Amino acid sequence: MGEVAATIKIMPESTETDLVDLKIKLEDVLPEGSEIYSSKEEPIAFGLKALILVVLVGDLEGGTEQVEDAFAAVPGVESVQVTELGRPV
Amino acid sequence: MAEKPHMNLAVIGHIDHGKSTLVGRLMFETGAVPAHLIEKYKAEAKEKGKESFAFAWVMDTLKEERERGITIDIAHKRFDTAKYYFTVVDCPGHRDFVKNMITGASQADAAILVVAAPDGVMDQTKEHVFLSRTLGINQLIIAINKMDAADYSEERYNTVKAEVSALLGLVGFKASEIPFIPTSAFVGDNISKSSENTPWYKGPCILEALDLLKEPEKPDKLPLRIPVQDAYTISGIGTVPVGRVETGVMKKGETVTFMPSGATGEVKSIEMHHEEQAQAVPGDNIGWNVRGIGKNDVRRGDVCGPASKPPSVADEFTGQIVVLQHPSAITVGYTPVFHCHTAQTAGTFMSLDKKLDPKSGEVKEENPTYIKAGDAAIITVKPTRPMVIEPVKEIPQLGRFAVRDMGMTIAAGMCMSVKQK
Repeated sequence: MGEVAATIKIMPESTETDLVDLKIKLEDVLPEGSEIYSSKEEPIAFGLKALILVVLVGDLEGGTEQVEDAFAAVPGVESVQVTELGRPV
Repeated sequence: MAEKPHMNLAVIGHIDHGKSTLVGRLMFETGAVPAHLIEKYKAEAKEKGKESFAFAWVMDTLKEERERGITIDIAHKRFDTAKYYFTVVDCPGHRDFVKNMITGASQADAAILVVAAPDGVMDQTKEHVFLSRTLGINQLIIAINKMDAADYSEERYNTVKAEVSALLGLVGFKASEIPFIPTSAFVGDNISKSSENTPWYKGPCILEALDLLKEPEKPDKLPLRIPVQDAYTISGIGTVPVGRVETGVMKKGETVTFMPSGATGEVKSIEMHHEEQAQAVPGDNIGWNVRGIGKNDVRRGDVCGPASKPPSVADEFTGQIVVLQHPSAITVGYTPVFHCHTAQTAGTFMSLDKKLDPKSGEVKEENPTYIKAGDAAIITVKPTRPMVIEPVKEIPQLGRFAVRDMGMTIAAGMCMSVKQK
């Protein structure tokens, strides 16, 4: 069925949240079969930054749900939103 | 030079009908493939003395580079035509991704429907045509693909064209106004120029058809709507909601209202990319601060709008849905979760008003006792707590929803009318 590249925007709990540390914690909880392809920080407003991850998942039942649920449960994460979907080349 | 107008282009169709190949081919023909790969290719082709496999070679090399972890931008696929620049919204096959296409991900302005000539209309072809209608994609181009595998037969092309036209008619598209193009994405027929393999075809090639699309209307003339993604308390500033402007324009100094809470105040400051802005327009990801609004006045799923035309809070709403999957049957009383903009709210099916015939779009049954996978229906829903939703005809960006239950996307739908609180 191939793969899907999901761009996921993770908002931290506060301006104090360490995004480098947060990314490591997110990597630890990645469900089997998914992988982080790339990551970057994006300035939003008033000192808040979002962590933008491109995660590869299978084109399977559940879609991005497992990854979203796993990320949402990590301390330091305020919200998880899939902002783009695509198929890698 | 002014930037070309931008469009989000979805590529839809049944699995293995050649969607990815078509996307790759479009990028290749428009020069959107990374320059270093083209150089690498030229060198290799010169060495080996063959140039005919350029396209296949580039696709393989891109895949290989990705697998070896060489960073290429796999999430954004952009290519330019004479008139527009396009971002490809490449749809996954599984239904559970439909939720993302409705809530977070960018809305497509147009779509290319890929139908393989040897197969014709298949299950996913039907489903995608239905969904594109529900998702508000009103401009389509039909690529009757894999013509090389159908001997470039005009007769086969016409048969498939008739099948697809019938399907489009069912959901209210006017097939006579939609371009049908015989293609082979793999060979490159009728992509950037007319192919000698189809001398019987006199219409536009894909790139020409893309330039004939109408520029999407900017949603900045609609009333302001910003669904709140999160709300923060930031020292020295106060309460800062963050979110993406969906419609309208928000200016510093204007009075805004958050619904359903009703909290109202004056916009003190707006920031985007950490820089202060005098106003925010559709597509902007912003944080903003409103005088007199406390942390408890605003939460995820609320929607900010002008105090003079606040967002609609539904006591009940009617929606048209397409049931994508459900293990049994849906009846009155069913209470799944509705995902609409940033809100997730449970809602009860109060009545099943009409079952629609997917073959004609006409009412097949008034007040059916149940609906099941594959059915289209008009339903009335009562959210279990106040929720903002707008009729799709007034503010399309806030009128679409996904219905989720048991970890599955049960249905996709659009709001037809709202009975306000």
